[in-house]
Amino acid sequence: MAIKTFRGGAHPPEKKDRSSGLAIERICDIKRVTIPVNQHFGAPIQPLVGVGDVVRRGQKIADADGRMTVPLHASIAGVVKKIESKTLCNNLEGLCIVIEAQEGVSGDDFMPPLDAFACGKEEALARIRAAGIIGMGGAGFPAHVKLAPSKPISVVIANGAECEPYLTIDERTMIERPEDVVEGLAMTMKIVNAPEGVIAVEQNKARAVPLLQKAISSSPRTRAGMKMRVQVLRTKYPQGGEKMLIAAIAGAEVPSGGLPMDVGCVVQNVGTLCAMVEAFRDGKPLIERGLTISGGACAKPVNLVVPVGTMVSDLIAAGATQVNEESLRKVVFGGPLMGVAVPDYAIPVQKNTSGVLFLGKEEARPAEEEPCIRCGRCMRACGCRLSPALLAVAIETDNYREAEKIGLLDCIECGTCSFVCPAHRQLVQKFRLGKQVLRSMKQKEKEAQNVR
Amino acid sequence: MSDKPEKSLYLSSSPHIFSPVSVSSLMLSVVLALIPSTVYGIYLYGISALASVFVSVASAVIGEYLFRKLIKATNTITDGSAVVTGLLVALIVPPKTPLWMVALGSLFAIIVAKQFFGGLGSNPFNPALVARAFLLMSFPAAMTTWTMPNGMTVHADALTSASKAADATAAATSQIADATSAATPLGLIHGHYTVPQIAQYYGANDTAGLYRQLFLGYRPGSMGESSILLILLGGLLLLSLGVIQWIIPVSVIGSTFVFAWLFGLDPVFTILTGGVVFAAFFMATDYSTRPLTPVGQALYGVGIGLIIVVIRKFGGYPEGVTYAILIMNIITPYLNKIRTKKYGYVAPAKPVKAAKGASK
Repeated sequence: MAIKTFRGGAHPPEKKDRSSGLAIERICDIKRVTIPVNQHFGAPIQPLVGVGDVVRRGQKIADADGRMTVPLHASIAGVVKKIESKTLCNNLEGLCIVIEAQEGVSGDDFMPPLDAFACGKEEALARIRAAGIIGMGGAGFPAHVKLAPSKPISVVIANGAECEPYLTIDERTMIERPEDVVEGLAMTMKIVNAPEGVIAVEQNKARAVPLLQKAISSSPRTRAGMKMRVQVLRTKYPQGGEKMLIAAIAGAEVPSGGLPMDVGCVVQNVGTLCAMVEAFRDGKPLIERGLTISGGACAKPVNLVVPVGTMVSDLIAAGATQVNEESLRKVVFGGPLMGVAVPDYAIPVQKNTSGVLFLGKEEARPAEEEPCIRCGRCMRACGCRLSPALLAVAIETDNYREAEKIGLLDCIECGTCSFVCPAHRQLVQKFRLGKQVLRSMKQKEKEAQNVR
Repeated sequence: MSDKPEKSLYLSSSPHIFSPVSVSSLMLSVVLALIPSTVYGIYLYGISALASVFVSVASAVIGEYLFRKLIKATNTITDGSAVVTGLLVALIVPPKTPLWMVALGSLFAIIVAKQFFGGLGSNPFNPALVARAFLLMSFPAAMTTWTMPNGMTVHADALTSASKAADATAAATSQIADATSAATPLGLIHGHYTVPQIAQYYGANDTAGLYRQLFLGYRPGSMGESSILLILLGGLLLLSLGVIQWIIPVSVIGSTFVFAWLFGLDPVFTILTGGVVFAAFFMATDYSTRPLTPVGQALYGVGIGLIIVVIRKFGGYPEGVTYAILIMNIITPYLNKIRTKKYGYVAPAKPVKAAKGASK
């Protein structure tokens, strides 16, 4: 099988061996969860419960009308203690529903099972929304919107690339639950009516490949005539980026400003696929997720499944993981290249948290920004073929027209440019800021035109 | 267990890890790649060459340190770029250039060509080449006086017996009569000698023998530009480390070869003499003064090749590499406009259409 990839990219140290051999542990004895109300990409939703309400596990606790919304469910049974604003893993304040376990309150409130292959498309999409499923790879895009494309889909890609260093939860999911990954892929193919399904795996996770292939060949969906296969990809960051995956597998490029469906693709994280399987088979909403806890200052790296809303501090207190306080310098939600550094442990795990990293002295060394030496490393590494060095100059000189021409809005913010920069230029950081400035400028222009 | 870690944490925007490649490690690799040529130069020209390297590097580093101190800017000598510039200056001036002149060139490169424009990464012109151009204009005699490598003898009679000697010949021969000074292959070809005559002059049996001798580097010339073999060795090291990319060296050498052939020069002789190969790997690839985009780099290389050949064929100087690169440096910002098409590039809509879309 030919190993495919995209043009550009970088090779950060993988550091996955610390946790890639460890089976996923399920953490059940969490007594308190702090569930952020808005974890998805889209319009905000409102709590449906009040302080003092008794909720069962899986009960809907927040929702709203609107297409770009997904409901939220209680991840443990208990009593709603507080509904208040807290610092979340994006370092912003957000409304959270705090639920505490209580004697005598237990039980699940799941939906009835539903056969995704027998029900209609609308019914299936309604179930996916009702289960509160969003993209679990990081962006948190509502799954029921992604699975209702307005264009014909030719291939569904199961994203098991997991290109961020340290993170191993997708790898463990593929090793431990290959049948669910395949089943979820088949479901997605059924819903979007795609003729082909591809499970994309980076080369460093090759041991998951035979397991997935076996799961494909023994799947009843394959016997029913569905075409699925595994594609090995070169281990390279950011191979797991949607645009890079599509370039590698479909050989097509998502048009600037477009969506994967414009080139007939739908990309779903393997964790999301497993959540879909649970939503149909068990009627279970997305109330827990797998994540990797690792990093140089993590004394006990683990792959865990925890209820959504579990605070990292509670995981440490429960002994699920250990931190080497001596060397700890940074706590990061997500991977080391795209994750967000948070100020303390009291941050809840969300539906789209793929990992928590405790970075040590050596890794989290603050780098001093030096002047650009124009070596061009960022340009060769950029998976979007932008010119980060020139883009940074355009932004620094407030030349947003030029920045837009170079492709500021096409930047996927993967951070490869900043990673490779020998002068430690804060390139992607400038682009994040620049994008917001450019968008607000365009907004103002539009308003001015409307006034006229 | 408290919610707070024992120590306060760093907060920063991602990415949180960085590649180990730094500015100083890049500069160090360039120095490493220059070491074979430097050592060979010292072997050819002895202790005075070593002194020249030492003076050049020291004045570059000290010059940078003092200038940055004077303008109250951060100390940047640890990035190693001044060492590279100093070393390059020593390698491209004639081997027995007076040491004060070498020091002056180095200081000019660092202070005028580099720091006046804002330091590393901001200079529009290659500092080492600016130094060479400056020295060549200020001290034309010293900068065109070449020394015989240790132990090398030439057959001057090969030239005196030449039947068709141009006006320049007399000057060249009189220079050759001097035991310590020598004529470079380029000086000779500029003086309208033929390649076989030059071969004879350097004691080679035939043209192929001369090519071999030039490739290995046994001929008068500047230290760094002597041995093509050792330059290639250093160049390949830089290529394999990913410090430089192949586009510029290939386009410079390739286009020089092709244009030399088109203009009726001996193409092999053209690329083996003077600083073509050295400049292709170490000068034209200078980060701050070359274009960043692949197409821009290719055009830049071809432009350098063309100008080298035009100067050598029609110009007053025997060598054109220095000015070729400096001239192409001028248009680098324009070449940077030729960008690679971004991922998912969509051709902009027709103006009429765009206006329609905007009014929506």
